[in-house]
Amino acid sequence: MKKEKRVFSSIFMALMVVFLYAPIIYTIIFSFNSSKSLTHFESFSLRWYEKMFNDATMIQAVIYTIVIAILATIISTIVGTITAIGLSKSRKLVRNLVEQVNNLPIMNPEIVTAIGLLMFYSAAHITKGFLTLLLAHIMFCIPYVILSIMPKLRTLDPNLADAAMDLGATPWKALTKVIVPQIMPGIVSGALIAFTMSFDDFVISYFVTGNGVNNISILVYTMSKRINPSINALSTLIIVIITVFLTITNLIPVIAERRMRKKLKKAQKK
Amino acid sequence: MKQFRKMTYPYVAWISVMIIVPMILILLYAITTEGNGVVNFNFTIDNFVRFFSDSIFLEVLGRSLRVALITTVLCIVLGYIPAYYIAKCSDGIKMKWVLIITFPTWINMLVRTYAWIGILQNDGIINTILGWVGIGPVDMIYTEFAVILGMVYNFIPFMILQIYTSLSKMDNSLIEAAQDLGANRFQCFWRITFPLSLPGVISGITLVFLPAVSSFCIPKLLGGGQYVLVGNVIESQFLTSGDWNFGSAISLIMAIIIMISMYITKKVDKTEIGERASA
Amino acid sequence: MKGFAKKAAALLLALVMVMGLAACSKESGSTGDGANAGAESSDKKEFDSKTLKIFLPGAYMEDSLVPAFEKEYGVKVIVENFDSNEMMYTKLSAGDSYDVLIPSDYMIERLMKEDALQPIDKSVITNLSNLADQTKNLVYDPDNTYSVPYFWGNVGLVYNKNNVPKEEIEAKGYDILKDTKYKGHIYMYDSERDGFMIAFKQLGYSCNTDNEAEINAAYEWLVELNKTMDPVYVTDEVIDAMANGQKDIAIVYSGDAAYVLSENPNMGYCAPNCGTNKWFDAMVIPKNAENPKLANEFINYMLRNDVCEKNTMEVGYTSANKAVLDKMIAEDGEYADNEAYYPRTYDKDEVFRDNESLRKKLSELWIKVKAAK
Repeated sequence: MKKEKRVFSSIFMALMVVFLYAPIIYTIIFSFNSSKSLTHFESFSLRWYEKMFNDATMIQAVIYTIVIAILATIISTIVGTITAIGLSKSRKLVRNLVEQVNNLPIMNPEIVTAIGLLMFYSAAHITKGFLTLLLAHIMFCIPYVILSIMPKLRTLDPNLADAAMDLGATPWKALTKVIVPQIMPGIVSGALIAFTMSFDDFVISYFVTGNGVNNISILVYTMSKRINPSINALSTLIIVIITVFLTITNLIPVIAERRMRKKLKKAQKK
Repeated sequence: MKQFRKMTYPYVAWISVMIIVPMILILLYAITTEGNGVVNFNFTIDNFVRFFSDSIFLEVLGRSLRVALITTVLCIVLGYIPAYYIAKCSDGIKMKWVLIITFPTWINMLVRTYAWIGILQNDGIINTILGWVGIGPVDMIYTEFAVILGMVYNFIPFMILQIYTSLSKMDNSLIEAAQDLGANRFQCFWRITFPLSLPGVISGITLVFLPAVSSFCIPKLLGGGQYVLVGNVIESQFLTSGDWNFGSAISLIMAIIIMISMYITKKVDKTEIGERASA
Repeated sequence: MKGFAKKAAALLLALVMVMGLAACSKESGSTGDGANAGAESSDKKEFDSKTLKIFLPGAYMEDSLVPAFEKEYGVKVIVENFDSNEMMYTKLSAGDSYDVLIPSDYMIERLMKEDALQPIDKSVITNLSNLADQTKNLVYDPDNTYSVPYFWGNVGLVYNKNNVPKEEIEAKGYDILKDTKYKGHIYMYDSERDGFMIAFKQLGYSCNTDNEAEINAAYEWLVELNKTMDPVYVTDEVIDAMANGQKDIAIVYSGDAAYVLSENPNMGYCAPNCGTNKWFDAMVIPKNAENPKLANEFINYMLRNDVCEKNTMEVGYTSANKAVLDKMIAEDGEYADNEAYYPRTYDKDEVFRDNESLRKKLSELWIKVKAAK
């Protein structure tokens, strides 16, 4: 019975992976298409990669996107975590109110948030560019972080921090050594969602940016209109960057461990 | 723990500026007439009347809510199993699975949706494979099926993440205790695991349902335009007809409906938790 | 997991710093280059600043043209793209400043009405004489005071010659979209402007009519089409789809149709006898431009024969330059046998005019057309 269940869930996971990755593999395949078509594969070619690497705005957009996404993720994760912990200790009225307002950017169609921010920036005479883009991204990322952390906090024993402080921990220690480790899964998924949202945003970014600061989504929306497979090449490049990055971060602990083992073995031999 | 309350102050200040002020501007548009550049103060409720007096808009709204609901339910059903599976994995593998699930969302949504167009096309991959086994081309693209598939595809990683979060670090002793007391697997799941994961499910619903109601890109590309949802209406008010007043009004109407439905969901959550606590 | 998180965070931070530095150095580098190049040719012209900001539809200019201009004039050009005229208008009306815009005819008319444009400097734009006669002195800007045409064309039907007889489509015009023989095989263009234009033209009205009865008749026409023909509403996906022969009939802009025809020899193009829309995208200089002198130079540059030739060869839209146009359609020209490239001159073809209340009305009706089941 147990074995059967494991087989079932393994098959399900395999199907899920196929489902999630089918369009990505499709994109990668068509980035090597020699013709302009996005639906008919003619023959293998690297022309879209050539076009992409010759296009300075594309490479620049990749850099802007990654920098903005990482900065927005770090800032919104920190602010979101702090706020969520504070909220869990606040009065119910305050908590409900902030949670409702917090939901607004998630709930509103992006275009509404975008127009709101656009009007706000132009009313305040703020010149649009990198900074306005970053601020907007932080603005719509924090709600996702808070939303991910709140359920973890709700299941947390409310007396945990008190107990730690009774035992002589400073509030800071109680926070970092007791509460944060407990809600870590929530923080991680919040950060991941924030990263996704920032990485993939078009509508809001489009209206709050200026001065030639583009992200990938803006390029994709304004350029792919009239079929442009270099967008596929660009996506493949991003897949490669992220894969390399993830492999490195995953390999470092493994390599470090092996080295340790070798050292130990040597020490033992001696 | 009152000293921690202060930690919300910076964010409250921040949202007042970055969320509430722009929302007030939108509200002003919704209740005034004409004029995009400068907000003028001719108050009116015409924009709301216009929406409710036309059966087509109500139909569109109903359809959007229905599609969002189907998407959300499918995301919960299909997302729970992977979330449960990942939560049961050992710590090292967990993180890898989480990354495998989130990774696809880092590729531009439009690019992925274009890929689905190619896959679902009448001469696309799926229909080619179906052709080999002798099943004629099935019309998939530009149907409700395609729209919901696209939505589920786009939102399911968020649902999985949220449910996984609430399932991980769950106290296993509770389940063991229940098993010791003679509960079968199904009872264990239904009476203990599921209620404990409910907060995660609720935030998952928030993360899927809210954006699904207002999404406009997926229905436009996969539904072939004739599948109009409220997000498309709002988008066209802002971007093609330039009627910001009406667009703002529709988005407010939608926001209020969603807030009410979220309130009901929260109520359900609370009663469940209450039951658990009293049990 | 904690260790992993820490290491990942450290790596991320390092990555951000490296990338941030790269971005900064790149920026300063390129402006540096610009300044150097400027020093070399500074005797040529003096500009208010060394930066030119242009705002145009995506993938609407050949890639090498801007870098060549930057080099020649020793300036830096910032290119931003838009997705629709209305998006451009929204950004512009929020106070964003650009030096050159390339919107469509009706949008130019609107910007002129709102006094948002400044006249071009004809003493600088000496290449104005390069323009083809069909693109000069258009109805919305009779003396080319504000606008200089860039690309132009019309709207028509792309059809699969194997499945749809040429005689039939020529005889029926837009009515072929309602022939149930082709049910499920047509693409409509998802824009209220073009959608209603088709109905207006087929019914024999002007595409700028604001007569209530005529609008209603057109609305009924479109609703019936939607109900009986099961059309798919697309925008630019239509280009790839028709190049691959996904469906039999589609509404396409002539410039895109020229590409479809060159990719797929089975496809034909037909601008119906009932008349159609003729459109012009043109370069204009907004009032709040920071560098109008350079903007005029840029427009003049874009009219040069060699520049126009490169541009039309790559983008596939019809050039507004007479010499280039003649070369393209000459017997050995790039578009010699392409029926879509060269727009006809026909008195029933009309240019869209700006009419805000009509636009709002049509946009609302268009949603209803598509939502009607």
